[in-house]
Amino acid sequence: MHRDGSLGVAVARPRAAGRRPALGRDTGTALLFLSPLFVLVVGLILYPCFRAVWLSLTDKLVGYPERFVGLRNYEYLVHDDAFHQVIRNSLVFTVGSVALKVVTGLAMALVLDAVVKGRTFFRGLFLLPWITSTVIIALTWRWMFDAFPGRGFFNSVLLDLGLMDRPIAFMATPAGAMAAVVVANWWRGFPFFGVSLLAGMHSIPRELYEAASVDGAVAWRRFWHITLPGLKHVLIVTTLLSFILTINDFNIIYVMTRGGPGSATQVFATYSYQVAFGQLRWGRGVTISIFLAPLLVVGIALITRALLRERT
Amino acid sequence: MLQQRVSRRKILAGALGATATLALPGAAAPAAPAVKKGTSLRLWILKTYVEPTNKAVEASAQRWAQKHGATVTVEYFTFEDMQTKYVAAIENRSTPDVGQLETGAPARFAGMGQLLDLTSFARQIEGEVGKPPANVAPVTVIGDKVYAIPWYIMAPFWYVWRDVFEKNKVKLPTTFEEARQAAQALNRPKDNFYGLGQSWNRTADGYGVMQSLMYSYGVGWAGKDGKHRSIKTPAMQQVMRWATDIYKEGLQPADTLTWTGSGNNENFIARNIAQTSNGPSITFALENALAKATDAKDRKLKEEALANHLALPHPAGPDGRRMWAIAMSFGIFKSSKDPEAAMSLVAHLLSPEETLNVMKDSSGQFAPVLDKARAASKDYFSKNESYRNFGRAAEWFVGTGWPGPVTAAAAEVQASNVLTDAPAKVIVDKWSVDQAIDWEEKKIKEIYDTLRAG
Repeated sequence: MHRDGSLGVAVARPRAAGRRPALGRDTGTALLFLSPLFVLVVGLILYPCFRAVWLSLTDKLVGYPERFVGLRNYEYLVHDDAFHQVIRNSLVFTVGSVALKVVTGLAMALVLDAVVKGRTFFRGLFLLPWITSTVIIALTWRWMFDAFPGRGFFNSVLLDLGLMDRPIAFMATPAGAMAAVVVANWWRGFPFFGVSLLAGMHSIPRELYEAASVDGAVAWRRFWHITLPGLKHVLIVTTLLSFILTINDFNIIYVMTRGGPGSATQVFATYSYQVAFGQLRWGRGVTISIFLAPLLVVGIALITRALLRERT
Repeated sequence: MLQQRVSRRKILAGALGATATLALPGAAAPAAPAVKKGTSLRLWILKTYVEPTNKAVEASAQRWAQKHGATVTVEYFTFEDMQTKYVAAIENRSTPDVGQLETGAPARFAGMGQLLDLTSFARQIEGEVGKPPANVAPVTVIGDKVYAIPWYIMAPFWYVWRDVFEKNKVKLPTTFEEARQAAQALNRPKDNFYGLGQSWNRTADGYGVMQSLMYSYGVGWAGKDGKHRSIKTPAMQQVMRWATDIYKEGLQPADTLTWTGSGNNENFIARNIAQTSNGPSITFALENALAKATDAKDRKLKEEALANHLALPHPAGPDGRRMWAIAMSFGIFKSSKDPEAAMSLVAHLLSPEETLNVMKDSSGQFAPVLDKARAASKDYFSKNESYRNFGRAAEWFVGTGWPGPVTAAAAEVQASNVLTDAPAKVIVDKWSVDQAIDWEEKKIKEIYDTLRAG
């Protein structure tokens, strides 16, 4: 992280006049050294991507050879009411989770930045959700929201405090189930924001705060005019990464609700899994999972370009 | 289709090699094909909740291996990853030699050309292991060919707390309607005790019971020829009303729809509900708990629980009692390098002696279907009323897609969750019953219209 708060993305600058020709006597050696990377990129990134796109253009069923059907899978999904609900659910789940992560991650970073004693300990402590297995987290939150008498954490506390006389089925309603999976995802992901933003804060020059204090700026104004602008790039990148990871999340929803009740928490990954592995329709299953890819790619490209432009 | 035939001579050779002194009176050694020494096979089996059953199947396979100087690598799949593992194996061409297949799998995998035609083999071992009942056989017969051989039925039963019914002078249910009435009579939400626990979730506890309900009301989405037929009937409206009224009337715990697999077991064993549908794993849990009782008081409590729980046959509907169940069979994959050894292993596992060995470690969950083993299992299933019902599982069994044969399309209807999503739309999204049926009809028809024949 650079002191100006940027992520230190390397930017190619135009070479000065008189540069060496692109193809020289070292070309062969260069290509030789680049070839492992080329193989990795093609084998692990390009081929799977092209294969996924190709499968989405076929009516591939498990056990049968694929047949090209053009955009039929996309056309089907555009008219599929279940998929419409999946899009809505995915957006609510993702936007809700990421928004919570940004707010609490920022709070975590601010608190840790202010703490002098035991900062390393607290930083490690806050990272626990991030390093714990997602399945364990999902099971734990499922247990927390459980309505089984004497077992669910929230229900036990509320019953023991005499605030109610029978358990609340938190996850039995669409809104409750969605809230539960959002909370679980938020809890797992906010340390990532906290740690990234804390690193970003450390790169903001202290002199700016000192100057602002001398000029009489209160804490809120210092945060608004120095900290937030200084964290802009980190915030954009972490939000983008978190958005991508969250919209593709499978484990939390599968373990906690299986997409239920009904289809209230069915998202891209769980619906894709059901169609591909349950119904054995791989072509359609792949289409579900890559449906939003073009939008995400455009979003990433625009944000990256904007970041690079500011740097140069 | 590749037809693996086993010569009569080889069968006789195998039969000679097989033990002639079986523990069971009257049971004979299966006519097993000959096995080359050093043969190595991969066997995929279901890991059930009843751990001793799993170990018993594995031990049986190892007995075969020891007898023939072969090796068998046993790999497990669970209810959860059954489909995923097979799908991955099929696409990666790494299918096992022998695999346990659930109800819809023979139709699906045979359609893909993955399974060996076992028609001749089935006929050859019929004399030794017997035949499946006429209602079970269609699970493994596709067209006129046999692609797998059924082994056992793992059926759901209608679990009730007998003492609760007796204390409240409520009749034990024999029909779905009686079950609902009993739930109304026994419901005490203020005490956190509910009359029923039936989740329309995405497990066999959901789609399995929904099929039993539909078929018992005479509703099927396919005809006898296996082709699609409409479910937009008055009987389906009755089915959907039953399925949703139990929620609307508050007869169940509020979180019932969120149960995933074990919720009904837990709530029943904890005596939060008076009745639920489940496989005999509840009986296993209660038997196991008794075996682990810590002191006399604990033992008394667990004995009472075991005595008071009762597994009834699944309720009937106006059209009869039709119980959807998991019918497990053995299939041999075409990728097997040694199909004859695979057949020998299957013949060994299906033999009445081995079948009964496994069954005895199943707490009633394993109900054999081949008639020789069924005949030999009568004593085991006469233990008490619950066990007597477990032993009759094959009688009430119907497969996915009743009244037609199990087809790939019927299996996909089940896998698409449309059967349980429809009532959930009424309960959760407040759709009308007719709206939900229209939606379900559209989804099912679409599956039949778009599924490739091959």
